[in-house]
Amino acid sequence: MHLHKFEKIWLVCGIGSLVVFLFIVGYGAFWQGTHPQSHGVTIDPYNIESNEAFKPENLGLTKVDDDKYIVNIAASAFNYDLGKDEEGNAVKTIRIPKGSTVLFQAATKDVVHGFHVAGTNVNMMVEPGYVSSLETVMDNAGTYTIVCNEYCGVGHHMMYATVEVYE
Amino acid sequence: MRKRKDHQASENEKPNLIGTFISVMLLGAFIIITWFGAYALFISR
Ligand SMILES: [Cu+2]
Repeated sequence: MHLHKFEKIWLVCGIGSLVVFLFIVGYGAFWQGTHPQSHGVTIDPYNIESNEAFKPENLGLTKVDDDKYIVNIAASAFNYDLGKDEEGNAVKTIRIPKGSTVLFQAATKDVVHGFHVAGTNVNMMVEPGYVSSLETVMDNAGTYTIVCNEYCGVGHHMMYATVEVYE
Repeated sequence: MRKRKDHQASENEKPNLIGTFISVMLLGAFIIITWFGAYALFISR
């Protein structure tokens, strides 16, 4: 079969980039451990309190060490439960100092929800029966809105909270 | 008879693919630029 010289060039570029991209995907998956956020950790969706992290008193922000925080979130239609403050009001804003390492752990009591700290790489699906978790370093100060990006019902648009990263 | 001769002549000619080549390379450059753009967003956030 005769191939034009130009055809040979673009075939080599195309097949070469396919090999490069597959290698990058393999590197991310097998050497860096990149995988979906559910980690295969299961939970009873009808009783998420049975998991230590999702007991009502453990929801919201917990400081575990200098510059190390855990945020536990119980998602349900149409709310993110981030625990209660001293006065007993539901927490809607979480404040974290810049440069902290934060582990977000989320579970849902009902349907599939999203958990996206808009403007950051924190973006997970929260599926019934699984614990979704993602650890990140909050390096950029600012106010970020947590949004649900999986349509979950009529109140979907009212499902939000706020993360403030301060200097 | 004459028609056939013309046909043979055009088959032996090399097709002019310079326009196709430029288009393919522009598309490839666009894909690579957007890929690095998405990667830069991921790294900076
Ligand atoms: Cu939703």
